[in-house]
Amino acid sequence: MRAPVIGYAGLTHLGLVSAVAAAAKGFRTAGYDPDAERVRSIAAGKLPVVEPDLDELAVKHRDKLAYSADPQVLRDCDLVYISTDVPTDDRGQSDLGGIVALIERVIPALNPQALLVVLCQVPPGFTRKLALAPDRLYYQVETLVFGRAVERAMQPERCIVGCADPAKPLPAPFRRFLGAFGCPILPMRYESAELAKISINCCLIASVTVANTLAELSEGIGADWSEVAPALRLDRRIGQYSYLAPGLGIAGGNLERDLATVLRLSQAVGSEAGAIQAFLDNSAHRRDWALRALHDEVFARKPDAAIGILGLAYKENTHSTKNSPSLALIRHLGPWAIRVYDPVVPASAAGHPRATGAKDALDVARGVDALAIMTPWPAFKTLRPSDIARARKGRTVLDPYRVLNGPAAAAAGLDYLTLGAPPLRARAGN
Amino acid sequence: MLTHGLAEPAGPKRVVLLGAGGFVGGAIAKRLALLGIATLALTRKEMDLLVQGAGDRLAGLLRDDDSLVFVSALAPTRTAAMLIDNLRMGEAVTQALAKRPVAHVVYISSDAVYPDDANPVTERTPCHPVSLHGVMHLAREVMLRTAVRAPLAILRPSLLYGAADPHNGYGPNRFRRLAAKGESITLFGGGEEMRDHVLIDDVGALAVEALRHRSAGVLNVATGQSHSFRRVAEMAAALVPAKVQINDSPRQNPITHRHFDVTDCLKAFPTFRYTNLADGLARTAKES
Repeated sequence: MRAPVIGYAGLTHLGLVSAVAAAAKGFRTAGYDPDAERVRSIAAGKLPVVEPDLDELAVKHRDKLAYSADPQVLRDCDLVYISTDVPTDDRGQSDLGGIVALIERVIPALNPQALLVVLCQVPPGFTRKLALAPDRLYYQVETLVFGRAVERAMQPERCIVGCADPAKPLPAPFRRFLGAFGCPILPMRYESAELAKISINCCLIASVTVANTLAELSEGIGADWSEVAPALRLDRRIGQYSYLAPGLGIAGGNLERDLATVLRLSQAVGSEAGAIQAFLDNSAHRRDWALRALHDEVFARKPDAAIGILGLAYKENTHSTKNSPSLALIRHLGPWAIRVYDPVVPASAAGHPRATGAKDALDVARGVDALAIMTPWPAFKTLRPSDIARARKGRTVLDPYRVLNGPAAAAAGLDYLTLGAPPLRARAGN
Repeated sequence: MLTHGLAEPAGPKRVVLLGAGGFVGGAIAKRLALLGIATLALTRKEMDLLVQGAGDRLAGLLRDDDSLVFVSALAPTRTAAMLIDNLRMGEAVTQALAKRPVAHVVYISSDAVYPDDANPVTERTPCHPVSLHGVMHLAREVMLRTAVRAPLAILRPSLLYGAADPHNGYGPNRFRRLAAKGESITLFGGGEEMRDHVLIDDVGALAVEALRHRSAGVLNVATGQSHSFRRVAEMAAALVPAKVQINDSPRQNPITHRHFDVTDCLKAFPTFRYTNLADGLARTAKES
């Protein structure tokens, strides 16, 4: 049997990364997107998303990749993924209009035997309602993680596949394609697979919420959560990959979407979902950690303080700023002058009337009264506390993600505040 | 969360202040006067909201470009009769507003609308009053929400203190007065309970900021710093030269604490600073 040809409809973050990964696995791959300008840019090698290794892989496997703004590019495909990002509003509600329109455009272009696989994040019940024969229609859980998307696409832990009838074997082209990833394949009902995606995210959020709750308590009682978390990871019931690093709430948009979906569905069917609301409340509370710290540590003493902000993206290794804690902080720093720098996101994204873009990470610290490291970009780890101490005017450093070495920062004369531990005050003599 | 109708603050055309003769109303009146904002300050003498026809009388005083501040209350509400009277006052105000809508309304409520065990309290903490006083304020909030078509700001202050406080309840005011007289301070248990105490001047300042921004929504009025009653007693004792005895007493009730997350205030009024308790007590002592 010849190797199946794989198609991706929708070349936003999810589709583009998935298409490149399919090509890298050796499959001829077609990418369709109705946005002609986007397609031209991708075909020219200018990828609209930032992900480690993505550019290199796209170049290396260019001969297996065809891009077009015409859905006919999908005609030869045995398997076509619907792979567009589904946008969310401020309350985490999905706008499904785009994906529905895309599917309506793609189905007429498919060859009569081609399978359609919905790869986007959709609410339970979505796939079953689509107008395509059940034996040609599937749903597959995507496990995109911003900043680790290529790694996740190339080496998934498992493939979760939603089917009309999970007792029937998957069609041969689908089996062959998924087999290339060398991981367990889990067929289940459409609704189970759609809920599996949400369930994974809810479990991750539960872990993060526990970490955030206990990290905040640590700050108040003199414990250090970074000492506690490794002990938990060695507990088999919790596990070494658990999400136990405290953070500034939930960001990015996809996790918030899943919580909103669970709340909406629970309300509709009358199931109890108080814990989900608690996740959201905790997230909102922790997102403002830096704002509270700046008021307590800086503005209370120096009403005209200038603040340096390192990082605008919602996390490292991505250009995305959706629900970024950094931008959430900047929104409430209106009265104060700020200096900003992000390796990928332009300073204009700050949307602050008194923001100045700095030329590099250390330049942000020049003359400011406090420095907040709001995105843990790897490049920021090379900053030396002694250089920061020389550049800044005030001595407060907020480093929620522990990019810097706290004791070294205190030794360099900085007041060092992080998540999960009491502040480390500047050592006397500095 | 409080949102502002005016991004740049501006003095309201005229403020009609109901309850200007009270502890909170007096502080708001003082702040309005300081900023030179035209004010019709009504005490119970000028506007008794329990009198038949009070709604009509109030409506006759209101103009459509007024900002109305509603502070009047029989407080604390300890009995059912007081609750009914307070609701009748609320009824008079809503009748007046139905007849003569105004540009903006600020209602001074209370943190008693929250359950005792809420922690930390935010503006999103579900209201579940356990006292008649809390029930009264929550009922009046709902009455106003139903009746007011203009922007409505609801301020929910925590425990208040200041030189003019008439209540002399357990806390900063009583402790400071006892210390000033050289008398000992007796704590409930060891005074372990933590509470957030707000200087009355800060309530006045925040209410006027809400007026100047034509704000709408809910804002807790709390400093974000809770202190044990023992610590408050120690601060009060430190204000006088003589040594003040601080005594424990057998505990009658379990220890409860109350903390506030004041992030919403940082967002609504970023440059506003609460007076810290030590400074507030010292200022209050000078004013007494």
